[in-house]
Amino acid sequence: MRIATPLLAVFRTLVYVFLLAPILVVVLASLNAGNFLTFPPQGLSLRWFWTFLNNDIFLNAIAYSATLAACATAVSLVLGTMASLYFTRHAGKHAEAVRIGVLLPLILPEILTAIALLFFFYEIGVGTEHKIALFTGHVLMTLPFIFLNVNTSLQGRDDSIELAARTLGASRYTAFRRVTLPLIAPGLSTGAVFAFIISFDTFGISFILKGTGSAPLPIQLFDYLRFNFTPEAAAVSTVSILMTLVLVVAADLLFGRRD
Amino acid sequence: MTEVSLRSLQKLYGKTAALKAISLDVTHGEFVSLLGPSGCGKSTTLKCIAGFEDITDGRICFDNKDISRKLPEDRDIGMVFQSYALFPHMTVTQNLAFGLEMRRVPKADIARRVASAMEMVQLTPYADRYPKALSGGQQQRVALARALVIEPAILLLDEPLANLDAKLRDEMRGFIRDLQKRVGITTIYVTHDQNEAMTMSDRVVVMFDGEIAQAAAPEDVYNRPASERVARFVGNANILDLPVAGADAQGTTVTLPGGTPLHIAPCAAPARAGAPDRLRVMARPEQITLTGPGLGQLPGRIEKRYFSGGHVEYTVATECGALFVTGPTTQHVSEGDTVGLSFDPARLWPLPDPAPERAQ
Ligand SMILES: Nc1ncnc2c1ncn2[C@@H]1O[C@H](COP(=O)(O)OP(=O)(O)OP(=O)(O)O)[C@@H](O)[C@H]1O
Ligand SMILES: [Mg+2]
Repeated sequence: MRIATPLLAVFRTLVYVFLLAPILVVVLASLNAGNFLTFPPQGLSLRWFWTFLNNDIFLNAIAYSATLAACATAVSLVLGTMASLYFTRHAGKHAEAVRIGVLLPLILPEILTAIALLFFFYEIGVGTEHKIALFTGHVLMTLPFIFLNVNTSLQGRDDSIELAARTLGASRYTAFRRVTLPLIAPGLSTGAVFAFIISFDTFGISFILKGTGSAPLPIQLFDYLRFNFTPEAAAVSTVSILMTLVLVVAADLLFGRRD
Repeated sequence: MTEVSLRSLQKLYGKTAALKAISLDVTHGEFVSLLGPSGCGKSTTLKCIAGFEDITDGRICFDNKDISRKLPEDRDIGMVFQSYALFPHMTVTQNLAFGLEMRRVPKADIARRVASAMEMVQLTPYADRYPKALSGGQQQRVALARALVIEPAILLLDEPLANLDAKLRDEMRGFIRDLQKRVGITTIYVTHDQNEAMTMSDRVVVMFDGEIAQAAAPEDVYNRPASERVARFVGNANILDLPVAGADAQGTTVTLPGGTPLHIAPCAAPARAGAPDRLRVMARPEQITLTGPGLGQLPGRIEKRYFSGGHVEYTVATECGALFVTGPTTQHVSEGDTVGLSFDPARLWPLPDPAPERAQ
């Protein structure tokens, strides 16, 4: 069955509009010259961006979220790659257990993972004060994305490639660095971008585990919107959308699939 | 001089024994094939020698030094894998240079040795190609050159020709054999193709179920198999179960169904404990000659005739069961014809009793 090309084009456009319209609304709202977060905007201006750039609370929140996302991604890269190497090279109960364990936070509602972690960290007497709970939560949330992407890179790869490197005189570590790592680099970079964005955006985990003191951006925005309804919130959102976009484009340019 | 020595090598995977205490000595410069059906433990043997698998018991010695506990990178082996296992992100040159870099060979020497290895396998025009831009046969040659450029003490090959088409396989077979003779490297070659093992090797090691059934020169494995199972695995075998008329120091006399006696030379095969009055005798298809009706030692009728280019294959119904016979294309015999079969007693091979094999 063939769908008429013009009809398909219309359908495609509608899908894009549906997906992108909310983002466009936020971006337009951030250019609002008025005092309230409304759509359509009352006049165009960059004044709310200026306000935001002079607001330490938001700047700190962005820096905090970016640091948290970077650290969580780094730890997930290591753990996720290890889990993936184990899973793709072994069969049976243990490998399956690793897979389910790693993917569970993706399958369970985020709030459940958060509450479970909250109980756990209070139970062992650590609580949420030291940010360890928050950090653990972010690692758990980002791990599946590294794991799945590295799995994709490894699947269909020949196990004997690394063995060949060994017979040629490479130690286990050198063989991994010179042979396996370049082969999974596309999976690692895609996974890292996903992981960073997930950590940067996630709300439930951060909301429950943040403890006192500085908070990640989504929490800060939420707090702000409860008492103020100005276009500054839209400006903050626009900036974080731009950051995400830059990250995706940069990763694609740097590590995009060449084969 | 013994280069590789496997001493009661045993490998268990959980409770299943992949190798049951095998022993094998490979001498310097020898080309040995491990031949056997799927799952008999050929690859496992190679993996143990390469150091990819921990051995359960026994020892592996190179030059009389126990290397059972050494890591693969310290064993000085070159290995060619069935899948070639080339590094996909490196060019042919980089693939060949890898092993030399690992050995910290100076840059200038690397370039020289890579160039000469590339010439050896006739790949110089492809130096800067990536593996995926090469044909199967070319990839195979890169894999071979990559294993040899480091000048290892031992070359291991695991079914290197299994992924090639028939014509290329024949070509590569000669190529590998010539190269091995030229370099003079001790080689262990795994295959489940008896033709490959026969044509390439100095010695064929036939394996079944994690055990060595026979290790001997190709002619011996073919003409003097150690057991019925080896006889049937290596080429086509007609097995005749014949009554014994008498035995002395010069051999055994058996009687064919028509009463014709056949004198079989004595052999190392142990006498049959269970039924000393019968002997199982092997005749290869080309060792039986088709003659006219009434001639030869055994009458038969042609059941099937297959023309296969160089020769003709027949299935002949006889009182000893269906026999597989090959003959020249100049002979004019058709299906349904009555013929006589003639045996050369000197080339009939008595087999040991298969009973102990079945008991396992
Ligand atoms: N990693 C493993 N875990 C468990 N059993 C294994 C493992 N590797 C091999 N085996 C078993 O050991 C036996 C020998 O395997 P091996 O790979 O050596 O066979 P092979 O002779 O190379 O066969 P093929 O011609 O099919 O490659 C088989 O029964 C196989 O199932
Ligand atoms: Mg195998």
